[in-house]
Amino acid sequence: MTLWIVPLLPVLAAPLIYLSGRRGGRVWATLLALLAVVAVTSMVALAIANDWRGNYALNSILVLQLGLTPLSRIVALAVPVIALPILLFAGFHERPPLGRLLAIMVAFVGAMELLILAKDLLTLLVGWELIGACSWALVSHHWQDENASGNAIQTFIVTRFGDLGLYIAAAAVFAGSGGFGYQHLSGLDSGLMQVAAAGILLAAMAKSAQVPFSAWLFAAMSGPAPVSALLHAATLVAAGFYLLARLQPLLAEVAWLMPAIIVIGLTTALTGGLVSLVQGHAKKLLAASTSAQYGLMWVAVGAGYPGVAILHFLAHGFFKAGLFLVTGVAERQTGSYRLADMRLGSRLPIIALFSGILALALAGLAPLGAAWTKEQIVSVAYETSPWLALGVALAGGLSAIYATRFQLAMFGRSHRREQSSPQINWAEYLAVGGLATLTLLLSVFWWPEAQSWLRWGLGLPRIDSHRWLLVLSLILVVLGIILGVALIRRGQPVMQQSWMRSAARWWELVPLTRGVGDTTVRLGVSLARFDTDVMEKATRALVARTTRTALGLARSDDEIVDASLRGSASSVTWMARFSATFGEPLSYRLPSALSGLIRRGGGWARKAQTGQTHHYYAGIAIGFAILLIILLLGDAL
Amino acid sequence: MILTLAWCLPLLGALLLAFVPRWSESGARICGIIVAALSLAMLVWAWFGFDPDGPLFQHVLEVPWVPSIGVAYRVGVDGIALAVATMSALVFLAAIAYPADTRGQSRQPDAHQYYAWMLFLMATSLAVFLVLDLLLFYVFFDLSLVGMYFLIGRWGHGKPQLSALTFFLFTFAGSLALLLGIIGLYLSLDTPSFDMRLIIEQRPLADGGLYAGLVFLGLMLGLAIKTPLVPLHTWLPQAHVDAPGPASAILAGVLLKMGTYGMVRLPLAMLPDTFERYALVVGIIALVAILYGALVALGQRNLKRRIAYTSINHMGYTVLGIAVAASFSDNLAAKQLALTGATVEMVAHGLITGALFLICGSFWQRTGEYDLDYYGGLAHQAPLLTGLTVLVAFASLGMPGLAGFVAEFQIFAGTFAVYPWLAVLAVLGILITAGLFLDLLRRLFFGSLPVHLGQFTELNRVEVVVLSVLGLGIVIIGVYPSFLLEVIDGASALLIGGR
Repeated sequence: MTLWIVPLLPVLAAPLIYLSGRRGGRVWATLLALLAVVAVTSMVALAIANDWRGNYALNSILVLQLGLTPLSRIVALAVPVIALPILLFAGFHERPPLGRLLAIMVAFVGAMELLILAKDLLTLLVGWELIGACSWALVSHHWQDENASGNAIQTFIVTRFGDLGLYIAAAAVFAGSGGFGYQHLSGLDSGLMQVAAAGILLAAMAKSAQVPFSAWLFAAMSGPAPVSALLHAATLVAAGFYLLARLQPLLAEVAWLMPAIIVIGLTTALTGGLVSLVQGHAKKLLAASTSAQYGLMWVAVGAGYPGVAILHFLAHGFFKAGLFLVTGVAERQTGSYRLADMRLGSRLPIIALFSGILALALAGLAPLGAAWTKEQIVSVAYETSPWLALGVALAGGLSAIYATRFQLAMFGRSHRREQSSPQINWAEYLAVGGLATLTLLLSVFWWPEAQSWLRWGLGLPRIDSHRWLLVLSLILVVLGIILGVALIRRGQPVMQQSWMRSAARWWELVPLTRGVGDTTVRLGVSLARFDTDVMEKATRALVARTTRTALGLARSDDEIVDASLRGSASSVTWMARFSATFGEPLSYRLPSALSGLIRRGGGWARKAQTGQTHHYYAGIAIGFAILLIILLLGDAL
Repeated sequence: MILTLAWCLPLLGALLLAFVPRWSESGARICGIIVAALSLAMLVWAWFGFDPDGPLFQHVLEVPWVPSIGVAYRVGVDGIALAVATMSALVFLAAIAYPADTRGQSRQPDAHQYYAWMLFLMATSLAVFLVLDLLLFYVFFDLSLVGMYFLIGRWGHGKPQLSALTFFLFTFAGSLALLLGIIGLYLSLDTPSFDMRLIIEQRPLADGGLYAGLVFLGLMLGLAIKTPLVPLHTWLPQAHVDAPGPASAILAGVLLKMGTYGMVRLPLAMLPDTFERYALVVGIIALVAILYGALVALGQRNLKRRIAYTSINHMGYTVLGIAVAASFSDNLAAKQLALTGATVEMVAHGLITGALFLICGSFWQRTGEYDLDYYGGLAHQAPLLTGLTVLVAFASLGMPGLAGFVAEFQIFAGTFAVYPWLAVLAVLGILITAGLFLDLLRRLFFGSLPVHLGQFTELNRVEVVVLSVLGLGIVIIGVYPSFLLEVIDGASALLIGGR
């Protein structure tokens, strides 16, 4: 049986869900969505049991391959399992029509599975880009809101900038080996491997909202709460970390990669924690916390223990999704996400309890499963360097502070008199409760039997745990909780100090990210103006000049031809006039002159006839003499 | 015979529509649709009869015409020509079937002439891709300019005569350079002939030198104006804006492909050694086109101009792939990948941008406005239009599962293996394109609905059918591209490896 059914099933179910949602009801659409995801979960389970593969050749070079590894099994199962309560929540929390929302969320699950199951960079890239598109579509769900669509663009563009790294990495692998499979990564020659590693790191950084790309996650909070829970807590943001976990053994030869991952992860964990401390918007607090927690997972991957990171991903997915759903419930009560307005403890006691469990998991308090996974991260960090372990523990302490702050601000004792009844339904209770229960269930991680089973199942190496380290870390957590309570008791931070205001903007990353986008648009506008005013004008001027030259030539041509025509016409006229004034008289004056001469000659001839003989003798003698002379001079003449 | 029928049927249809009197508008349109559909069917039939592992040119027909000069009526296709020609036929069918711009005017009495010119343009455009004779190639190349000139000049809006004149003069000047190049190629053979196959086989200008360089320059200049490549692109935006929607779709979807197809058929196949020397230069010019086109598109307020500049960007990818395919490198797999990618980009861009311009036509029909700030909040008012535009926009920005990704991924993978830095800079193009298209979608469909758009109607049935067919084609090529790739791969392997 082919593994393709796992990603394809939700994608094909999505149109059906969309159509069923258009009728207006929420029940059928939600039911179909849940069915689809349950089917995916069972398919994944079957695939794991029977070791399914998938293969799809576009041509001889471009082949898409799917397969499972021990680590990817957990992730492949976790994604649909987390999606189930979130879809239930979405179906009964959001306002109908829900077809589009649920359909795209289900399609997203399919795309995420494609990414997880990929065995080559081309398939990975396909899944990677598709989840980005789903993210855009889901964040712009409330498209009437002017801000939401702009924020959706920001999320897509920032993550796509990272995707460019994947394009280049895939191209580098192809250049070095002629194929795109993950297995080709380890055989590349050094230069190409560095490029591939850099590209993969860039893509992972952007997708996991690590520093300096963390601002997009804030923008993504414009989406509905279930969307934030599914995409921006549990799954899409996990893609970056998952990629590194998956490819880390193959890229072991790249010397700078692991240290870079650790540095990026730790920086994000610490700075993100500080941002969460001062954030007044509930979702943005959780968003910064998400970046920070993924930073911790990055540290684990960088230290060489991807399995540990994946377990923390599992725990984090459950509690963070639950916390986001809680903010959704809270927003329905108060109309906004501002922490200062919340304090809903007496209105929503059960939700407060669930939220408390989830918040304690975020804080990292034993014996919750999330605490164990966090301690594992501290332990593996210690193997690299004690300072790293300290850093991780500090980050854990920070998360304790803001988790407590979150919980108490949301559900602490309020000075208001509670008038209204809670606006909540059974599905929302079930969803949040389900995630809280799963978080509680993960406490089995503390049990040694479970740990050895995990080690066997995931191939985790045995990690030396130092008791004093554990104690230190837990002390930091408890300190954090106490600090958090103190902060709340003192009142909300009023953002008096400038560093707090800057921190709330993710240490100026939010304006910076927006600024990069705005600068690019301004560059585009000025280039457009250049193109219109200079280049097109030059072309039009050229055309106009050509037209003018042609017209000018035409005119001069006309004039010459015209002139010659006119010239010939006027010369003919002149000739006619000349003939009329001179020619004609000349032509009859000549014959008349001739006839005059003849008349005169005739007159002379008559005059010679005088009748006098001596005149005739004289004439004959003169003629005779002339003849003699001519004869005598004959030769000489 | 099939290929001759494919381009002659539209010509006969054009004559019929032009000279037989008394056509009603719908009658003319139906006649146009039937003729175009028949022509497309011929090409699909040719596709089925095409053997991917066979010789380079198939379905060849040669009829001697003027043997003393070496001109003959020669038609034949390789995989690349067949793919591009079939796509062109489909885009023509879509453009003819799409409701023509009337903007509230009463039925135009000369509608039958509009369809006659459309069919004439279809005939000449298909012939450009189908002929194997250089002189015929040039003749049909120029005749297509005539067809488009009249379509823009007579049925356009804004300043149609000026735009049509600029378009014609600029591209015609380019085709004169092309003619010089063609004559140069013709004379370089021992027994001069216009037969393309002969020149490809014999490679008369293999020694290079100044003569070969000048011929190459002439060919590339003419084709670069047609493609268009920056900075010779300035005829494109105004021609697009002032043309009617279906004519813009054809201008972008088909006519621009003549430039890039010509680059594959003429310089790449016939002057490979000279192209090899200048491949990096061409690649850099293509890179400039990619980034400049995308950035300028981002800065446009006019919907149609924005999409026009994305055409420059996409053709930049195609030319980059062709330049890589021509380059000096022993990574044959990468070069073949780049050439295949370039061809798929031609096919994909034709469908995608054709659909985008048809959508622009729909917008103009309803409001007469191209300014993006005029619009907003139409998602609820016109959901089908929104959905189709989102689909086509994502295809254009290279989303996997849709046609554009297959092409662009192959181009980048091939380019990186030969010119790594060009690839690294070229991928920025898809980022900027994503930004501009998402911004376009936001300004058209999201936000609040302004009062003056309260009467904006949804797409009518014909528009939905045509756009859905194009959309289906885009999705099929994205998800199941092997039927397209197998036809093209054979040709690109022979063109690259045949050295």
